[in-house]
Amino acid sequence: MAQVQDGTDVTVSLQVNGRHEVHTVPARTLLVHHLRNTLGLTGTHVGCDTTQCGACTVELDGTAVKSCTVLAAQADGSSVRTIEAVSRGEDGRDGGLDHVQQAFWDQHGLQCGFCTPGMVMAVRQLLRDNPRPTEDEVRRGIDGNLCRCTGYQNIVAAALAAADAEAAM
Amino acid sequence: MYPAEFAYVRPDGLDAVFTAVDEYADDAKVIAGGQSLLPLMKLRLATPAMLIDLAGAGELSGQHRTPSGVRLGAMTTYRELQHSPHTLGLLPGLGETVAVIADTQVRARGTIGGAVAHGDPTADLPAMLLALEAQVHIGSRRGHRRVALDGFITGVFSTGLADGEIVTALEIPLPPAGTGAAYEKVEQPASHLALAGVAAVLTVEAGTVRRARVAMTGVTTTPRRLTAVERALVGSTTSDVALSEAAALAVDGVVPLDDVHASPQYRLHLLEVATRQALQVAARRAGARWAA
Ligand SMILES: Cc1cc2nc3c(=O)[nH]c(=O)nc-3n(C[C@H](O)[C@H](O)[C@H](O)COP(=O)(O)OP(=O)(O)OC[C@H]3O[C@@H](n4cnc5c(N)ncnc54)[C@H](O)[C@@H]3O)c2cc1C
Ligand code: FES
Ligand code: FES
Repeated sequence: MAQVQDGTDVTVSLQVNGRHEVHTVPARTLLVHHLRNTLGLTGTHVGCDTTQCGACTVELDGTAVKSCTVLAAQADGSSVRTIEAVSRGEDGRDGGLDHVQQAFWDQHGLQCGFCTPGMVMAVRQLLRDNPRPTEDEVRRGIDGNLCRCTGYQNIVAAALAAADAEAAM
Repeated sequence: MYPAEFAYVRPDGLDAVFTAVDEYADDAKVIAGGQSLLPLMKLRLATPAMLIDLAGAGELSGQHRTPSGVRLGAMTTYRELQHSPHTLGLLPGLGETVAVIADTQVRARGTIGGAVAHGDPTADLPAMLLALEAQVHIGSRRGHRRVALDGFITGVFSTGLADGEIVTALEIPLPPAGTGAAYEKVEQPASHLALAGVAAVLTVEAGTVRRARVAMTGVTTTPRRLTAVERALVGSTTSDVALSEAAALAVDGVVPLDDVHASPQYRLHLLEVATRQALQVAARRAGARWAA
């Protein structure tokens, strides 16, 4: 990593959903725009564009971040997982909905669905950090994500159901 | 929103960072986690011609025991701290403070060096670091120096860093036995930013306060110590009455911020309430609480 480049373009080398992607883009390209516009991965949404709503949440080297507030250049040399790959196993094959996605489906954890990719990413992070959260811990754990539709109740239910499902494995 | 155009470099190692910072001085900004800088750049409130990414300087990461305390690299993220039970066990109050900063995703990127160097008047961590008597390690091509955090943040978004200097680490001395700490934050519900945040670190011996460090954030142009409260506490008991009397001094001489989030009077009220609560919790944690 650590390439030093002068000029306003940078070459960004990423592992995205298991694929090696090398592209030269303006240094000011945000990771979210790189994913959506350069790579065509439009599952990651731009909601507020001001680091508030979490719709743009992706996993950067395994940790949830807001991709509207990371430069593609900063991510150079890293691996990124987006919502498109959540249902895929290590072998890259589609294994159907993951536990968190299934729980959103079962608990009616979405209405318009705009916040959902980011919510799924945030809940996955929450359960990695704390596999058996209380309702209060769920609410705190996803407070970087906003939803304008559901009133959160069913999203919280989905997170708790996903934790149950994982515990039952 | 796109930031204005800029060039980007990620120098390999600290010496290369120093060279770059020196060379591009006026037009450049260093970027750590980017959780304050990138939002400002997207709003074009900051338009540096060059970004120097500190992420290639491994020397800025890591946590080490020193003879008197703990040294935390400037690039330590809030999230790393939250997952450092050893450090949090040595430094009371730190874990509780980091837990109320921003949200999970922002904490994964935001760094402690950025928290101190940004000079945000509402930043939480500097209040606790002031109460823990943290020192700021500063480096440049010309060498290294170390200053007390107290006095380092000089105003809204301004610090004592000279041209070419960056924050390399924060060093926090281990507090004496019998010390308890607490951070009490009243936040703006949408932004989570402090309307008033108070950090208290009290050393208590047989029901008497021996040492007190109390600092606030969110209320004035910079986080700063509440020295009148500290003076009143030393030698006093930890009764509710004594702690409340000391807390009442928090507002002495404070010229509060006045913005859409809170009027000056309301901020002063919150400051006193948060101070009282922080003192009570810190005293209880310090143990040996006297019944009044
Ligand atoms: C949605 C949101 C909510 C937030 N909520 C809170 C909150 O509740 N409480 C709170 O305290 N903060 C909050 N923050 C601010 C967050 O804590 C800051 O991002 C963090 O403190 C700054 O660290 P950084 O590494 O991201 O700095 P950057 O954004 O990378 O840099 C900030 C500034 O510091 C300078 N800088 C950074 N590192 C160094 C260094 N080592 N040496 C010299 N200069 C340096 C940069 O040049 C820049 O001017 C919030 C931010 C967001 C986006
Ligand atoms: S679009 Fe990134 S946080 Fe809203
Ligand atoms: S389901 Fe519409 S914003 Fe959350």
